[in-house]
Amino acid sequence: MAKREEPPKAKPRLLIRAGILIITHSLLVSVICCTAGVFALLLLPILAKNTYISENALLPGSARSMLSPHEFSDANKFVKEISSSNVEPASTGIETPRLIAQHIADLGGEVSYHKFHPQLNKFHPLHFFSSPDPGIVQVNYSCSSYGINTVGIIRAPRGDGKEAIVLVTPYNSLNITPGEALSLGLAYSVFSLLTRVSWLAKDVIWLAADSRHGEYAPVAAWLRDYHAPTFGGPRKPNAEICGESALYESKANQFMGSKIADHFRRAGTIAAGLVIKVADRSVDITRDTLSIYAEASNGQMPNLDLINTVNYLAVHGQGLLVKVEKFWSFLHSKWLKVFGEIFESVGKVAKSLNPQWVFGISAMEYIEGTATLASSLYNQALGVPTGPHGAFRDYQVDAITMEISPKLYWSHKAKQAEVFLRGGRLVLLFPFKTFMLVEGVLRSINNLLEKFHQSFFLYLLTSPSKFVSVGVYMIAFALLVAPLPVVAASLYSDANKRGPTSVKHKLSSSPISVDEAHITFRSWRWLSAAKTVFIVHLWGAVVTLMPYFICQLPNCTPTTSLLVWVSLSVFGLVVLHLVLGSPSAFVSASQPQEKEWALLKSVTVSAAFVGLCLMSVINFATAEIGALLIVPMCLMALPVRLNTSAHKFRAVARAAFNVVFILVGCPVVAFFMLKGVFEGFKNINVGEFWFWVESLWVWNSATYIFICMVHLPCWVLCIYILLHPC
Amino acid sequence: MSKTLLKCLLLASLLLCWSYHCNAIAASTTAHTNNWAVLVCTSRFWFNYRHMANTLSLYRTVKRLGIPDERIILMLADDMACNSRNKYPAQVFNNENHKLNLYGDNVEDDKRPDIRDFALLNGLYVKLDTTVDYRGYEVTVENFLRVLTGRHETSVPRSKRLLSDEGSHILLYMTGHGGDEFLKFQDSEELQSHDLADAVKQMKEKCRFKELLIMIDTCQAATLFSQLHSPGVLAIGSSMKGENSYSHHLDPDVGVSVVDRFTFYTLAFFERLNIYDNTSLISLFGSYDPDKLASTAYYRTDLFQQRLEEVPVTNFFGSVMETIHTDSAYRALSGKDSSKIRTCLSLDQSVHDVMQRLKSSDVRRQISETYAMDQHGTCPFTRMRSIFNEKMDKIEEIDSLVNCGLAVMFSLVAFSTWLSR
Repeated sequence: MAKREEPPKAKPRLLIRAGILIITHSLLVSVICCTAGVFALLLLPILAKNTYISENALLPGSARSMLSPHEFSDANKFVKEISSSNVEPASTGIETPRLIAQHIADLGGEVSYHKFHPQLNKFHPLHFFSSPDPGIVQVNYSCSSYGINTVGIIRAPRGDGKEAIVLVTPYNSLNITPGEALSLGLAYSVFSLLTRVSWLAKDVIWLAADSRHGEYAPVAAWLRDYHAPTFGGPRKPNAEICGESALYESKANQFMGSKIADHFRRAGTIAAGLVIKVADRSVDITRDTLSIYAEASNGQMPNLDLINTVNYLAVHGQGLLVKVEKFWSFLHSKWLKVFGEIFESVGKVAKSLNPQWVFGISAMEYIEGTATLASSLYNQALGVPTGPHGAFRDYQVDAITMEISPKLYWSHKAKQAEVFLRGGRLVLLFPFKTFMLVEGVLRSINNLLEKFHQSFFLYLLTSPSKFVSVGVYMIAFALLVAPLPVVAASLYSDANKRGPTSVKHKLSSSPISVDEAHITFRSWRWLSAAKTVFIVHLWGAVVTLMPYFICQLPNCTPTTSLLVWVSLSVFGLVVLHLVLGSPSAFVSASQPQEKEWALLKSVTVSAAFVGLCLMSVINFATAEIGALLIVPMCLMALPVRLNTSAHKFRAVARAAFNVVFILVGCPVVAFFMLKGVFEGFKNINVGEFWFWVESLWVWNSATYIFICMVHLPCWVLCIYILLHPC
Repeated sequence: MSKTLLKCLLLASLLLCWSYHCNAIAASTTAHTNNWAVLVCTSRFWFNYRHMANTLSLYRTVKRLGIPDERIILMLADDMACNSRNKYPAQVFNNENHKLNLYGDNVEDDKRPDIRDFALLNGLYVKLDTTVDYRGYEVTVENFLRVLTGRHETSVPRSKRLLSDEGSHILLYMTGHGGDEFLKFQDSEELQSHDLADAVKQMKEKCRFKELLIMIDTCQAATLFSQLHSPGVLAIGSSMKGENSYSHHLDPDVGVSVVDRFTFYTLAFFERLNIYDNTSLISLFGSYDPDKLASTAYYRTDLFQQRLEEVPVTNFFGSVMETIHTDSAYRALSGKDSSKIRTCLSLDQSVHDVMQRLKSSDVRRQISETYAMDQHGTCPFTRMRSIFNEKMDKIEEIDSLVNCGLAVMFSLVAFSTWLSR
């Protein structure tokens, strides 16, 4: 009928016609787009480009290392002292900071102590996205719970003092491990070198962070105080009482009382932060390795140039093996192997056709790349920083953690004493390379003229020297999300199109005025569906806030907390449905329900689309993984009781698919599925999910909000559609 | 009637003057009287250390070969010597052997600079004896073009001006980052080949040079010469279109590349030369080996009348200096130079202006002629001296003169001792 009317009308414009065409073929479009989206995701390791140093000013590796065995033997002595000081039985955690401060002062650097107490890792719904508040006052801290950071500063001899580079070595002052002692020694040797050089343009700050409350807390506390200057009297009176007596009235301090400042020392704007750790674990490999951790909160990454510089210097300068995190379980995946082989053979065929088409990578490379990419994606999606460097990102400072796993030192445990005692050339094998690496990176950053800005901030790593930039990985997400508005539009137009015929059948006898009223009413019908969706999303917000109260309950095991949370949520949903859902029931009773579910689905899909797009701005990786779960679930959702003319088999298959997708789409199930895939299904505890979610809100991860306010409502709505009475 | 006649006459004389002027250029009858050098480093930042080292190396070379400091316009876009990243404060090297400190006060002497040699200026230590004329953010396209064309604000001191004349040979050396038909200044603006050609054309018309050698060390340097068409210009660039110009070597001690290849081999060529050398330009141009340069040095000679074999490099890199004896500080110019300068007029001024100037210059010429005629009368001391000199020249028997003098002195001494008794 509509087609017959068309010819007299003016032809609609091309764009509109194309839109109509796409909407009418929404099923085909969504199938193609989703498949292409998943395929594009699988293709990412192949599309990854080699990293390159984009900033000219960095000049990595152009300067000769100035470290000498002298510094190295000094560092060894220092390490020995640290290790022995900590062995003393009455260790209160002050000896090591004092020792470090003494050494820094001897070198001629400025020293100060920074006392801090860890912030309670609590869920503050109101402070979710706000920056760390320096004014939070905490009570009930005993003196022993204070951590003491030791901060040494070298002023650049001819610099303007406006910029600084921070070197962080976390160590536990109560029980120092050999690895931590070694990392302190490493920083000490570099620091002692830097006190003598004339080429510093930025101040260098060495933060020996007391990690008795975890590695992140001291760095975060120091950065908070660094960026929140207070003027006037002493800010923490109780801190003065506690720490002061022990620190400043000690014998050792008599010699250098004037050198150690009792106020907070600052240098310029922080240009970059380097966290240096030496692994305690024995890594059974034949080469010294360097692991780079870069993910900060909410999937923020440091500028790629920083990683490039470290990687370049480590690989080309010092011959280290550089690694970034990857999912090891992926390496044995048969599916990936098949994919890798397919891509490899396609690449070979393409190369044989035209030698200039070089895009294939070997199957092994592909698997490695995918494992790294998946890890990169997961860590970014989690939104939890992977190390103390995450604290820097909150102040827009680029920082990474460099974890060094030496080969010689840890694989020959017997020689441990030898390393400490002998010094000199023979045992330079392990650390000397890493010393030079740290020096080289510092010198490179020192060459910078501006903040890191030249290279990418939005990227995924597929290996330490390969990356996928935002322009490429956006495609996969865009393809995945594209069907959502199309399907929403097509469902809406279908519901409105089918409406008139059925309404006419029923209302043929009724007066015209009533019919008109119905038509106007009909065009607003989507409001009731929107209300349902809104209520469910509101419920999602309530669910988001619940853990705050559950945390207050005393003596809760994770499992019971989770159960309380789930039951409360279900209860809340039922209550909301009873209280607010009744009007919609009235509407649905007066309306043919056949269209009701279509409208509901249309609105649900639109809401999911908006949610995913918003999330992609905040944390792309979360949106990508979320899209993989939500999009198929939303697109497939159809009422089980929908009586179509199709075969029974088809209906059953569709229902089965629905159930599977909805099952997988449930956040809890998805979590355990992923966990099972990566780590095996052996020891799965229900409480783990609680832990996982807890870690999310403790780190203020936007992923938590996404799960509770976008994913969960969508899932509930899909179930609602599934069970819709047709 | 008489007015129009006068106008016609004036116009005719102007035309005459102009044709004479053109003839003078075409025939280039003017003698080579002096040498100037404009040395420009256009890039900033520590990692462009080599560009400043290039320019300073050239500065020292031309200074060594005889161009005096006041005839070198040195433009440095940044100060590497005082950069806090410099491991050797107040020193700039162009070789990793660190034998020659380009920022030192003596070419041969490698003594470490004393802090007393520096003055604190705007927070920067500035070497007192290095005459950097345009420094830091002063190095702009505008200032560069002003230097070439000589159109300065009235307040610009003479030391910052290129005061060349139609007998000048000018060396223009530029280094920095360039591309196809442009050269980047200061990371913010560009000098295009059109700008350069236009400036050179203006210089030619204003008789600001007799011969000009443009030497450019950047990527795709040859493209900068494509628009030049003023006679008397010789151009050489480090690389052809599409080629990069590479650094020669890295100094691992300082941590940067210290010199570009083209400049390095240019310097190597000049190392062998002294002021009195007669080596021709063709041997300089022939000395660039594309394999060593990793680019092809390109030189353009079609605007240059002479054969390169006959032109010694010291024509541009060294200096001739006509010593003009001056009677006093202020009259020196008026006698000899001002009339010459005035005959050579800028063409972009209005006719009216030109005529006025012509009149005034005629008047001045008359004055100067009369002045030259009764010069003997005006300055008694000079006259006395010249007469004395003439007489001295005429005396042939120096020995007898000396003997007489001695006798007179002896008698004088005897007389004075007798008086004092």
